[in-house]
Amino acid sequence: MTPLPQSRRLASGGLIDRSRTLSFQFDGKPMTGHPGDTLASALIANGTILAGRSFKYHRPRGILTAGSEEPNALVELRSGARREPNTKATTVELFDGLVARSQNRWPSLGFDVMSVNSLLSPIFVAGFYYKTFMWPAAFWEKLYEPLIRRAAGLGRASREPDPDSYEKAFAFCDVLVIGGGPTGLMAALSAARAGAHVILCDEDFSFGGRLLSEQFVIDGQSGADWKAAAVFELEQNPAVTLMRRTTVFGGYDQSTYGALERVGDHLPVPLPHMPRQRLWKIVAKRAVLAAGAVERQIVFGGNDRPGVMMASALRSYVNRFAAAPAQRLGLFTNNDDGWKTVADCIRAGIKVEAVIDPRPAIPEAFRQLAIQAGARLFEGGLVQDAHGTARGLQSIDVMTSTGRTESVAVDGLAVSGGWNPAVALTCHLGARPVWRDDISAFVAGDTPPGLVVAGAATGAFDLRSCLADGVRLGAEAAQAAGFTAVAPTVPAASEETLGLMPLWKVTGARTKAFVDFQNDVTAKDIVIAEREGFRSVEHLKRYTTLGMATDQGKTANVNGLAIMAALTGRSIPETGTTTFRPPYTPVAIGAFAGHHRGKHFRPTRLTPSHAWAAEQGAQFVEAGQWLRAQWFPKPGETDWLTSVNREVIAVRGAVGVCDVSTLGKIDIQGADAGTLLDRVYINGFSALPVGKVRYGAMLREDGIVMDDGTTARLAQDRYVMSTTTANAAKVMQHLEFCHQVLWPELDVQMVSVTEQWAQFSIAGPRARDTIQKLIDPMADVSNMALPYMGVTTITVCGGIPGRLFRISFSGELAYELAVPARYGDGVIRAIMSAGAEYGIVAYGTEALGVMRIEKGHPAGNELNGTATARDLGLGKLMSQKKDFIGRVMAERSGLTNPDRPSLAGFVPVNRADRLRAGAHFLGLGAHPSASNDQGYMTSVAFSPSLSHWVGLGLIKNGPNRHGERVRAYDPVRRGDIEVEICSPVFIDPEGGRLRV
Amino acid sequence: MQIECPFCGKRDAHEFAYLGDATVARPDPAVPDAARAFYEYVYLRDNPAGSHRELWYHSAGCHSWLVVTRDTRTHAIETIAQVGAR
Amino acid sequence: MSDPMPNPRFAFAGHLTAIGSLVAGAGITLMPKDDLALATVIARKGQAGVLGERVQALFGIPLPARPKRAAAGKIAFIGTGPGQWLAIEESSGDPQSFAAKLATEFAGSGSVCDQSDGRAVIRVSGPRARHVLAKGLPVDLHPRAFGPGDAALSQIALISTLLWQIDEAPTYEIAVFRSMAGSFADWLIASGAEYGIAAMS
Ligand SMILES: [Zn+2]
Repeated sequence: MTPLPQSRRLASGGLIDRSRTLSFQFDGKPMTGHPGDTLASALIANGTILAGRSFKYHRPRGILTAGSEEPNALVELRSGARREPNTKATTVELFDGLVARSQNRWPSLGFDVMSVNSLLSPIFVAGFYYKTFMWPAAFWEKLYEPLIRRAAGLGRASREPDPDSYEKAFAFCDVLVIGGGPTGLMAALSAARAGAHVILCDEDFSFGGRLLSEQFVIDGQSGADWKAAAVFELEQNPAVTLMRRTTVFGGYDQSTYGALERVGDHLPVPLPHMPRQRLWKIVAKRAVLAAGAVERQIVFGGNDRPGVMMASALRSYVNRFAAAPAQRLGLFTNNDDGWKTVADCIRAGIKVEAVIDPRPAIPEAFRQLAIQAGARLFEGGLVQDAHGTARGLQSIDVMTSTGRTESVAVDGLAVSGGWNPAVALTCHLGARPVWRDDISAFVAGDTPPGLVVAGAATGAFDLRSCLADGVRLGAEAAQAAGFTAVAPTVPAASEETLGLMPLWKVTGARTKAFVDFQNDVTAKDIVIAEREGFRSVEHLKRYTTLGMATDQGKTANVNGLAIMAALTGRSIPETGTTTFRPPYTPVAIGAFAGHHRGKHFRPTRLTPSHAWAAEQGAQFVEAGQWLRAQWFPKPGETDWLTSVNREVIAVRGAVGVCDVSTLGKIDIQGADAGTLLDRVYINGFSALPVGKVRYGAMLREDGIVMDDGTTARLAQDRYVMSTTTANAAKVMQHLEFCHQVLWPELDVQMVSVTEQWAQFSIAGPRARDTIQKLIDPMADVSNMALPYMGVTTITVCGGIPGRLFRISFSGELAYELAVPARYGDGVIRAIMSAGAEYGIVAYGTEALGVMRIEKGHPAGNELNGTATARDLGLGKLMSQKKDFIGRVMAERSGLTNPDRPSLAGFVPVNRADRLRAGAHFLGLGAHPSASNDQGYMTSVAFSPSLSHWVGLGLIKNGPNRHGERVRAYDPVRRGDIEVEICSPVFIDPEGGRLRV
Repeated sequence: MQIECPFCGKRDAHEFAYLGDATVARPDPAVPDAARAFYEYVYLRDNPAGSHRELWYHSAGCHSWLVVTRDTRTHAIETIAQVGAR
Repeated sequence: MSDPMPNPRFAFAGHLTAIGSLVAGAGITLMPKDDLALATVIARKGQAGVLGERVQALFGIPLPARPKRAAAGKIAFIGTGPGQWLAIEESSGDPQSFAAKLATEFAGSGSVCDQSDGRAVIRVSGPRARHVLAKGLPVDLHPRAFGPGDAALSQIALISTLLWQIDEAPTYEIAVFRSMAGSFADWLIASGAEYGIAAMS
């Protein structure tokens, strides 16, 4: 299909590049446009009036606005994995090859089966979610929800992963100017001339705001020319950053702003390595909000018909884009600003059929303008209903000042109900807008510290005031940021008047009159809400969904409020105020995620032996941020348990090696290091001899166990503490708290050395033989020289300095060898070759876990945030001779009650049964209920040494019930077996193997 | 939110860990009613709407514990100081 | 013991290969700094003054009281917290001996800990270095706010970082925990790709 000519493109004018033609498709129809077009302006230039169907009633809808406030013209943009619903045609920059589809229609936009919803509209009225679908509950899931989901909706998201990339970035400036219209440009110039670092953001792809869309004259130049000169000056200034296509969507504490830069959205696909969007966090010393104002509608019958458009939008399409939305236009305006439309239409050759101005008397100049345009003038008139089809408007019913109704044939209607200042960002920290009677609009109330509002956003709608505001507030912002402003000069611009007479809704409409187009909220819905008592603005919003769609009611909220005020006989400020939360316009979740998705969701920490383990084909597991080897499958091993059993058997029978570098290590020095340890551990460390290691447990101040591990004394004034992998950072923070906040008088210096050392556990009866082959001559590691719980410094592998700890988690003769992390890779290879003759294996976290369960060592599952030291069998460590963190609170009667769930071992009575962690303990024959619950199984393992499953658990009065039988009840996995309570130490209870 | 660490300078609140009330002091464990004093120290907190002295930890920075006086209604920060040993 | 001493494996090994060799006109250049000796130095209680005098006497360096880098010859001290510094020796042949030497010299006034393996340092330089770092570092690196000699402790892409500026090229050096070198390299490459990246070893 070849595209048809752009039938509604004006012959001349506009800020489009006619030398280049762009091809695009809408609903499969090929069309053309030019650089500088938006999708909406290109559709209008191609004579396309119908842009979509509405959310609830599937009413045909056209293009209402020319900006980000658009409620109607939402399209699905692009295709395949890049298909994005709810994209505003009014903000999509046209690119070659663009593909867009209308939404919410089936089978086609022109003929939509679901528009039958309009006939069912009684069920879709205000509150319908609450009323219709209350009961029965089963109907909701099976009937109502599928029905609503198919009938009502806003486009279809792609189901494929997003192929684009996103990123975040930080920026800092003296003055942030939000909005690049005349006010913002002037403010940026003024601040930049003072020497301030300025960031100027605008959501449009071109700066200028209304200067692009109106026939303004500034300092004798056209608005567009003045803007070009201003942008040129800003671009030449290295202290100025111009950010086009960037929406400042949120204001946050301490002058921090969120902004979304659409880096690649104007391209068919982003260039290689180009992110699609970039989320900026901008920290500004001062900010100037120059976001302009949004024109508001007047509510009348059929005001949502395709062909009805905001007057300012119509001027944008005519002046900026040289596209004619209508050929025989009606204008309905309650203010002077709307009359600009007449002059612009005369210039563009668009016939104005009628001007309906509800004001009883209008300035003589406008009467002359109407005559010049050949338009019928209805002073004091009202548009009651607009009639048309999906293909466009046909006529409007005008109620004259004398009460007659006249039909006027038009194919378009421009509407101006006045302007709402865009004050959303002033509300993001909780302030509420305040009502101003003179302009019948809300303006900013309290503004956040550092933010000032300028120009049309303050309610000063005329260009002269906007420019003056920009000059003054830009200079003041620079001054507040520490710069000296130069004497400001304000460019000359002609005077404008507003002369607004408030008009929110026309009475006597015979057809549906819409307030919120995007959520299909009608004037009648507000009547129902009022009648049913939902009169506060917060209730009105939730009951009718007014203002809750993706446009946040930018064109709707104030009308809705005004209608409610009229119904209740209150003033608008008495009725309530509108407020806004971030984001100002929708932001893709991908932009918030930035780099952090998929495997980059969070950083991954690799152990010093990672590359080696990967070569061995290790199975890895995430342990917090760490990636640890879980087991090392050998060829032919297809089942994890086979591998883990082999690893455990090898350690218990010969020797194995495991990377334990992930455990936290904290170097603690200073004259009072021992004193600090005495205060954070339940047991004593100041009397620990140099060269010795001791197990310790630390509590939270509330008496619950925080962490445990071993601490070695390297010198009189130096210890090295180990923490669990999971709690390393938390323990460091706790120690810093204890030192800095509680006991600043102590001479203690602490630093994390977790990453400095590669640390390997070498365990098993042949551990010493293996170590012996690695260490350099002269070192004596005999049982005499380095007994159980000793530590010494050595060198290994020909000069690598290391520390050797005689500690064991497995219950076997074991060492932990620490070497500088860079040698971790080489040393594990050396350990493996040294141990080869003894049958050494590498073992992972699973085998480590099996062996610690066999030995009854509590770990993360037992340190569950509710267990005390006594619960874990560590009560005897609690020193009676000193104070320590948690000591006082641990003595509370609830925490010393022997009936508390306490650590015990468990074996299945039928040894073939499998144990499950998480199973709850019940008395034999007890009914499974919370009141009969005696505790739960915390950890389980298959013990290859015992050839059956073993478990650890916390059960009431556990230590005194060895030999008793209980049920291990696990309804989730249909487990209900008998288990016997026993000692938690299953292997070598005397600890003889540790000490050989 | 931005917090101005006395050592590092102004930083985003994401770099800090919040602990809470800085007006409570760890009781002397030797006093006769230590159990009651510790109960209050660990659990009882005022929740003022307005100025509040709080402990923050610059976990992603210099590891300083800071006393931040912050208005809980506006997040405006009045004073920030290093605590204790530093 | 007949086997030769194993070779060290540096933190960025294998993580920068994906971006290939030198790209003409690259926006940033990456270079791992594997030859630095690093040590944390923390003043003993009430001994910061004495420690400062020792450092001045030994190296001719005034100990910075703020996040700054003070250097002379091959030695630099960076303020990393009140009473805390990271000491650096460039082109160190024997990193462990640096910490040992400092510990001896500072006995009684400062506690020293070898961190030569605990931190991985990478040099990021080039005309787009600032643009790349702005994608992760919440610190203003504009020359009027941050220059040679300045340092910052912060985080980039959820990774704790210590960054300092060497020159106005600009050249920055960034220390991250060794285990996160791979993830940090991933972020650097993703963030710098649009400007072109050259990698040196
Ligand atoms: Zn700090």
